[in-house]
Amino acid sequence: MKQSICVKINGRVYEDEVEPRQLLSFFLRETIGLTGTHVGCVIGECGACSVLLDGRLVKSCLLFAVQADKREIVTIEGLADDGRLHPIQEAFVQRYGLQCGYCTPGMVLAAHYLLGRNPDPTEEEIRKALAGNLCMCTGYMQIVDAVKEAAKKVNR
Amino acid sequence: MNETKYIGRTARSKEGPRHVTGRGRFADDFVMPGMLHAVILRSPHAHARIVNVDAAAARAAPGVFAVITPAEVQQKSRPFKPGRYAAGLKKPIPEYATAIDKARYVGEPIGALAARSRGAAEDALELIAVEYDPLPAVVDTAAAVRPTAPLLFDELGSNLAWKGSLRYGDIEGAFKQADKIVKEKLKIHRYSSTPLEPLACIASFDAASKKLTVWVNAQVPEVIYDALREALGLEDIRVIIPDIGGGFGQKIHLIRKYVVLVSLLAMESERPVKWIEDRSEHMMAAGHSCAQEFDVEAAVKKDGTVLGLKFTEIDDVGGSVSTLTIHFTNKLNNLSNTYKVKNIYLEGHSVVTNKCPVIPNRGIGKPGMCFIWERIMDRIAAELGLSPVEVRFTNLVQPGEMPYTTPSGNVYDSGDYPGLLKRALEKIEYEKLREEQRRERERGRLLGIGVVIGVEPGGRNASRDMAIFPEMKESPGSGGVNGATIKLEKNGTLTLFLGSPNCGQSHETTTAQVAADILGIEPEQISTSTPFDSDLAPWGVAAANSGNNFHLYDIGAVHGAATKLREKVLALAAHVLNAKTQELTIEGGVVQAAGSPIKKITFADLGKIAYGNQAMMPKGFEAGLQATFYYTFPHGEPNLVPSPEGLVRAQFTFSAGAHVAVVEVERDTGKVHVLRYLIVGDNGAVINPDVVNGQIYGSAAHGISVALGEGFVYNSDGQLLTLTLTDYGKSSTMETPRIEAEHRPAPSPFTVLGQKAAGEGAAIPSPAAIASAVEDALRPLGVKVRELPLSPEAVWKLIEQGKG
Repeated sequence: MKQSICVKINGRVYEDEVEPRQLLSFFLRETIGLTGTHVGCVIGECGACSVLLDGRLVKSCLLFAVQADKREIVTIEGLADDGRLHPIQEAFVQRYGLQCGYCTPGMVLAAHYLLGRNPDPTEEEIRKALAGNLCMCTGYMQIVDAVKEAAKKVNR
Repeated sequence: MNETKYIGRTARSKEGPRHVTGRGRFADDFVMPGMLHAVILRSPHAHARIVNVDAAAARAAPGVFAVITPAEVQQKSRPFKPGRYAAGLKKPIPEYATAIDKARYVGEPIGALAARSRGAAEDALELIAVEYDPLPAVVDTAAAVRPTAPLLFDELGSNLAWKGSLRYGDIEGAFKQADKIVKEKLKIHRYSSTPLEPLACIASFDAASKKLTVWVNAQVPEVIYDALREALGLEDIRVIIPDIGGGFGQKIHLIRKYVVLVSLLAMESERPVKWIEDRSEHMMAAGHSCAQEFDVEAAVKKDGTVLGLKFTEIDDVGGSVSTLTIHFTNKLNNLSNTYKVKNIYLEGHSVVTNKCPVIPNRGIGKPGMCFIWERIMDRIAAELGLSPVEVRFTNLVQPGEMPYTTPSGNVYDSGDYPGLLKRALEKIEYEKLREEQRRERERGRLLGIGVVIGVEPGGRNASRDMAIFPEMKESPGSGGVNGATIKLEKNGTLTLFLGSPNCGQSHETTTAQVAADILGIEPEQISTSTPFDSDLAPWGVAAANSGNNFHLYDIGAVHGAATKLREKVLALAAHVLNAKTQELTIEGGVVQAAGSPIKKITFADLGKIAYGNQAMMPKGFEAGLQATFYYTFPHGEPNLVPSPEGLVRAQFTFSAGAHVAVVEVERDTGKVHVLRYLIVGDNGAVINPDVVNGQIYGSAAHGISVALGEGFVYNSDGQLLTLTLTDYGKSSTMETPRIEAEHRPAPSPFTVLGQKAAGEGAAIPSPAAIASAVEDALRPLGVKVRELPLSPEAVWKLIEQGKG
């Protein structure tokens, strides 16, 4: 019953057999071993499992792995370059845009998606763009500030 | 210590880089060879007798290695000892990891199963046939205590599982002398902190050596350690706590049941077993804060001076007796809030109901105590025709009275409460704001301003409970203990072993800053051993990511260990450099003797000597450069153990904060918008302002979200209606306001760096601030805010009531 899929993840091509019912989030975590994609609800509410699918921000718990066939995914592990943090990651570190770290991969990718479309967002635009990503620790303050800081860095 | 270079300012986060790259290591990220996946069988009924559990078909299902039913739980494990959270229980009620003969809340574990994949486990779970005899559910406290109510625990003969009271001062005298008695009934609902990472555990049992290892996202290693020993009778237990995706109290207590169940599966299957809770399981069964009802009376003079406070509390503790009184006992921690009232009477009633058991949650009963004070202060002001701010100023403990002993025996270490309040009013431009409110009210806008103040206690003293339960035969332990080890490696870098796990409060960063300053090295040269491992870490009863313990016990332990290591480093360096220790200074990991620029030695060279060159060590020098220090609070007396009058130090340090909320209420929908939220706080000497601010912002955001509607809702059958984060009403970026925070620290004279607590923080006063602001917004309608949450529906009802 397994199906073959071919997915490009963080620039590397993977060919795998998957059960049709396997969610993309678990495919990434368990089959590929990229555990930075976190699971907080499995019903698309929390955003911890967000990844970029063909450049668009998606919640990987709302997709089956087979839906990623012949497509390209970027996970949180794909942002840093040779150990050098992406400017958005660097801004999250510098501005303490995280506490427990569980929502962080999804938040960073949501910020990445926003800044790709809107390099100079207002606070309101940042808050809207992150509204699908819940954080229980920070009250969002330092996350929003980190995204503002990241916008400055990305624009530089 | 050298002059501080790192303490008091921000530093590069130690935890940040791994989390932003997806390299955090959470329990679900670990995979063991041959690992099985567990699922939990749960009660669909709020109240039912368990007549029969037939697991034969599940056992025979493909891929299933182990099934645990109530009969096996009873046979293979022992009940938990009633801990101090169950203090006050009149008759012992054995509590196992699952329900045995009766389910008392929806989602209560009945059994568990382990199979080769999560899918196979879920499929097999469907095959377990449970025969239930459903009983009527008891869902509200008033109905629960009626004589005809169905009983949750037959042994108790009543659903009122505990009742008790305490009095301090001359409460009758205070009420006799009063010009006025101000009364109010108040209520706080059930909520939680819903950490984003659900409960998670992996258990692995080596049958030959009888060693059990668990990887678990628990906040308090001791709870897990004790639970496994008590329930399974094992001695050799190793508790590993990796990164935790948020705790807030949610991962302290009930999690022990699941660790025991998963361990039973691991022992039965002789395989490592992983269990990851799902979100709906978390919402229904991982623990809620306690719904609390208060009947409050204040005896006041005409000028607003409060002579005495009386309150009766009814706690809806849910379907377990294991946390019967925690929301009441915690009232002793901030019983006086910031006020100098001398006479207080408190009475608690713990009522069991067919709902999820209550557990610790950011501040436990303390938000309720602050709510009592701050609501009654507003009521006193209204009834006496005074300004709510003035009434507070009249009653505040003054800075000149510090250290101040409260009527229940707490000793407030330091603080300038009038200063905090004054600064908050200045910063928000209170008078101007009131002007604007007057103008806008004329135009029909419902603008409200709420001003509150609260203390935030820190530290731990379980012997507090003996003041409430004088019948306690055994002390639950007094004060707290936690340890830390610091080791200078052969290359001159340092490794820290902390006693407690980290749930996101930057323990690694903060402790490195402290150790760096004491030892004269950069924080970059210090790393913390993770994950927490009970086999390696020095730890004690206060090794708890809970109770606002970190600032006191972990910092105290790291400070002590680093100081001891510094002495060793200096002793060795003095010998090698042929200098006196008092002539030595340390900077950048180099020990320098006064007088000669060449008389110096690096940490790396000292490391090489200490671990490998006996001839260069002074006589009597213990080889190696490692130090361990166990910290206890040295100023715990008086009243570390309760006096005959019940005076006790419930906690040891007292942060404080003045909060101002400015809100606007939509008249047509009841929706509340928080326009501004300001906190002027005293968290003592701040070690890292970004870390402390993060705690303030996060705790305020949670308290505001709680006040404005997040919470659990049950129907009359005891079915939970809020199984998802959306139904529960968790605030996103869009509903969460910007928090403005300013520090006015009053360093504690009792702690090593003047530090105080910051974790529970703003979650304590913020529900009261929102209630105060919403009531103020609705003042033109003449309605009163007595209950949380102030969801749009609840506020709309108040508006309608005002119109009517």
